[in-house]
Amino acid sequence: MDTLVARYSRPAYHQNEVFSEQEQQDLNDTVPSLKFAMPPVAHPSAWLRAATDDRSNPSCPIKIAHGTTTLAFRFQGGIIVATDSRATAGNWIASQTVKKVIEINSDLLGTMAGGAADCQYWLAWLGMQCRLHELRHKRRISVAAASKILANLVYQYKGMGLSMGTMCAGVTKEEGAALYYIDSDGTRLAGDLFCVGSGQTFAYGVLDSEYRWDLTTEEALELGSRSILAATHRDAYSGGFINLYHVKESGWEKHGFTDTNPVFWKTKLDKGEFSNVTSNFTE
Amino acid sequence: MEVLLGITGKDFTLIAASKAAMRGATILKVSDDKTRQLNKHTLMAFSGEAGDTVQFAEYIQANAQLYSMRNETDLSPSALANFVRGELASSLRSRKPYNVNLLLGGVDPITHKPSLYWLDYLASLAPVPYAAHGYAQYYCLSLLDKHHQPDISLERGMELLRLCADELKRRLPIDFKGLIVKVVTKDGIEVKPFDEDAVVRGT
Amino acid sequence: MSSPFSINGGACVAMVGKDCVAIACDLRLGLQALTVSNNFPKVFQYGDNVFLGLTGLATDVSTVSDLFRYKVNMYRLREERHIAPRTFANLVSSSLYERRFGPYFVSPVVAGLDPTTGAPFICGFDSIGCIDFAKDFIVSGTATEQLFGMCESLWEPDLGPDALFETISQSLLNAVDRDALSGWGAHVYIIEKDKVTKRLLKGRQD
Repeated sequence: MDTLVARYSRPAYHQNEVFSEQEQQDLNDTVPSLKFAMPPVAHPSAWLRAATDDRSNPSCPIKIAHGTTTLAFRFQGGIIVATDSRATAGNWIASQTVKKVIEINSDLLGTMAGGAADCQYWLAWLGMQCRLHELRHKRRISVAAASKILANLVYQYKGMGLSMGTMCAGVTKEEGAALYYIDSDGTRLAGDLFCVGSGQTFAYGVLDSEYRWDLTTEEALELGSRSILAATHRDAYSGGFINLYHVKESGWEKHGFTDTNPVFWKTKLDKGEFSNVTSNFTE
Repeated sequence: MEVLLGITGKDFTLIAASKAAMRGATILKVSDDKTRQLNKHTLMAFSGEAGDTVQFAEYIQANAQLYSMRNETDLSPSALANFVRGELASSLRSRKPYNVNLLLGGVDPITHKPSLYWLDYLASLAPVPYAAHGYAQYYCLSLLDKHHQPDISLERGMELLRLCADELKRRLPIDFKGLIVKVVTKDGIEVKPFDEDAVVRGT
Repeated sequence: MSSPFSINGGACVAMVGKDCVAIACDLRLGLQALTVSNNFPKVFQYGDNVFLGLTGLATDVSTVSDLFRYKVNMYRLREERHIAPRTFANLVSSSLYERRFGPYFVSPVVAGLDPTTGAPFICGFDSIGCIDFAKDFIVSGTATEQLFGMCESLWEPDLGPDALFETISQSLLNAVDRDALSGWGAHVYIIEKDKVTKRLLKGRQD
């Protein structure tokens, strides 16, 4: 009761105080370690790991959706963000139509790899924090600040079993095109090019070989989508649709949610790539 | 962190293997050759458990050569691949199985068709147009999916190997000390010079 | 370490039609999540109308298919006739049970037409040789749950060869599209009295 009263009845002078302190307060309020129900056992995180980690225990009772390929890279024309759309629980393909790019606001994107629920929840929460920042400061939050809010948050939960590998991409006046990698270990890195998820290496293979800073927008979009296609082909846990975005100073722009199947056969038959796949249907 | 790569082209098969011999955190040798020639037209590259690799490869090499001497004819790459698979499969259910992954590349002595076989330590056998073992699979297969064509020339094949080597240098956390590259054609097997001093810039 | 049955992935299904049978398999060979080859068929022909589908550990798929090729050839030389599907099924069963205490990690499926009556015959096995005779369909591999669902809903009695081809193809393709470890194309065999039709299906490549 006291906490409720404290939250909603604040002396008037507090309203005019420096934002940083209130911001800190709000942040603390919404870091809700006590709001989450904990399993009534001695070591909640160990218990959770035993129940949900399907890598070490394939017959674990709770299967969390995993397996992904996501990528983002900076280039002369902004940032390309691309993902696949498959969610798997063990070997079962739970969905082929997952949206792994989360539109935090009209010019900030987040990508989703690892625990689907963890990513969805905390990136939505990050969207809320960014909006609050905007209302308080009357200007858009920087990508650096937004990514740091997320990194600090997941760091507070370190060791509790959160599983997420995410990228924040946005273009602001102050920073230009900015790309950050954040994972649930607490790592936060700024960079030009990242691939995250079980199919990351396959995407890196294609992306690294043709990546240049002065790519045209068309080339960059094609390269992003081709890299995801490569990963969906080789990685069993990636597949479905190619979700493609271009982030510019005027905000992000969606470039389709395209089924990989027709794209694959077009790439193979028109360009002669994927020569490992048999296409001799007459035999 | 051993690297094995194989690429087939129009009239050749390229096999590449990393030159580092590693034990634990130490690199014992930087000019190791992880390949054995089985007969005039067939080359085998191997990786896996220390000791098992060379023992198994030389056992296969000796048997392949014995066959050639007895019958005055060489086994074809596909025949050898199936022989190797049989040996590895029976070893799998023995008291002490060989822990060896293999790439077997060759050119058929009669049809001159290039071929490449992928075998893992479980003795799974697959004929493939290009292949890799170890971590190289995860970086190079997608790259070769994009750039490989069945009728490429030897020059293009070397370019593809260069592309793969560059990607591995960029992304693998341990130095594998470059690649030794051998090419199999209808005229036999030869070592191809492969420049390893090029510096690869990361992103 | 995951089960030997799901390291390499793969799916197989056989179905009975009117005076015909069908057997189909996917083409994937993987190593856990990594797809190594898209050209690893799991259905093998032994004689005019005896077929064996093998899913499970890839090495044992090769070993067992080679073993039966040898045994069936020896049978043909000794008996001077082709092996009948039912005889072959018993051969598979007893050969698998010989490895009762160190089994081959495969789930075989036999499909064929009886050489004298022309009656359709299909059956499945567990890895140590227990025969499961069926009048409708047999499934095996990493996509069994999905295949059971597809077959239960699409299969009906007395399908002609063309309808049977459509049914088995749709069942297999849609089942493997919900399994991460199988798919990447398929082979379908339709076996009729004096005709065997083999088709390669273009499947999703993700």
